Amino acid sequence: MTTLTRSLAIAAAATLLAGGATLAAEPTKGKSVGEAGYQWNAGGGEEDEALSLKPDLKNGRDVYEVCSACHQMEGWGLVDGTFPQLAGQHYRVIIKQLSDIRAGNRDNPTMYPFALPSQIGGSQALADVAGYIQGLKMNPEPGHGDGKDLALGKKLYDDNCTRCHGAVGEGNNDKFFPRIQGQHYAYLLRQYEWIKAGKRRNANPEMIAQIKNFSERDTRAVLDYVSRLSPPKELIAPKGWKNPDFQ
Amino acid sequence: MHKTTVLAVALALATASPALAADGKALFADKGCTACHGEDAKTPIQEGYPKLAGQNADYVFQQLTDIKAGKRANGAVAEVMKPILDDTAEADLRALADYIGGLPRFTPATAAGPADKPGKQLYLTKTCIACHGKEGGKPVLKSYPAIGGQDRAYIAQQMKDIKSAARANGATNAMQPVMHLVTEPEIDAIAEYLSNVK
Repeated sequence: MTTLTRSLAIAAAATLLAGGATLAAEPTKGKSVGEAGYQWNAGGGEEDEALSLKPDLKNGRDVYEVCSACHQMEGWGLVDGTFPQLAGQHYRVIIKQLSDIRAGNRDNPTMYPFALPSQIGGSQALADVAGYIQGLKMNPEPGHGDGKDLALGKKLYDDNCTRCHGAVGEGNNDKFFPRIQGQHYAYLLRQYEWIKAGKRRNANPEMIAQIKNFSERDTRAVLDYVSRLSPPKELIAPKGWKNPDFQ
Repeated sequence: MHKTTVLAVALALATASPALAADGKALFADKGCTACHGEDAKTPIQEGYPKLAGQNADYVFQQLTDIKAGKRANGAVAEVMKPILDDTAEADLRALADYIGGLPRFTPATAAGPADKPGKQLYLTKTCIACHGKEGGKPVLKSYPAIGGQDRAYIAQQMKDIKSAARANGATNAMQPVMHLVTEPEIDAIAEYLSNVK
């Protein structure tokens, strides 16, 4: 979207909201990485609408019940990486990824039905569930790699990833860069490989360029390192913690 | 309205929408579906063949289309079904799917077994419930199959085929990524549980 079009879209959305009209944005497919005119995080539509709303955490818990079947009640996913840890992920990141999945900008056939408006609701639901997920305590024991190449992993991380993902993988909510510290190794591996191959269609071209020359050994090393980066203590749950919202 | 006009209007309607004219019930008999799936579409001639009655019409249509196109070729479908479907127009496939979808849902062959079957718990913990719904009876999308009460051997075979990618059509791409979560004995246990669900 051009800056002018985007401004008009935002103005239109704002007018709708100001007038108390029903929120109208629907999932709309955009361009994919590699396509001419692709802009990472182009935004617009549902995503912008959701970002402008105040999350209702009570409804967020109810929406999350759907998600808990796979992402688990604690939001920790599975250590084998089948489902990622969501707990503690940035608010804006969750809104963006959910918007992208249901608009067909990020392929995830398994997830697709659960992201749909018919399943979880419109843009308000996106805000609600993102607010809830963001507040969940994180997994104290994510899945790791084999731990044999961490010195290389650290060097690669410090040289290549801190600009966007932060000094310790904390990401950046404002800039939509995901928190990757404490994420399951096998999930990181799958997403990283899909990003590198252009298969993840909503990927950031700067990241693709950054990791272009990483070998397989580099990949395993850096992601094992990342899976062991610890979030701040206050964000992590104690071992064996169960989510009281679902007991 | 004048009788001739009524007739003319009726004819116009009939010819304008060929799908309306296709009789799914007649097709189901004429195409020989009853031979394998039973006259009521839920009494298959042998174990390992699926019950169809009441299955989600969109799912049935997808399977028929995929079998015809060769995109689904696991088990008996390639040899037995494809030749029949090769000879069936798309509008007729749709009519068949709609007919099947409108029938009363299939139910288990035997009375429900003990409530604490191991498959019952696996159905939850392996996340099957997320997509196929409570007791396999309420899938999250109309294009996903209801599986509660389905033939035990058929369920088990489909799960194994989706896991190995011997079957890779349609929305199996949504299911394949979680199939490594189940071993073969677990697959059998889940199939045993589902086949007995009312």
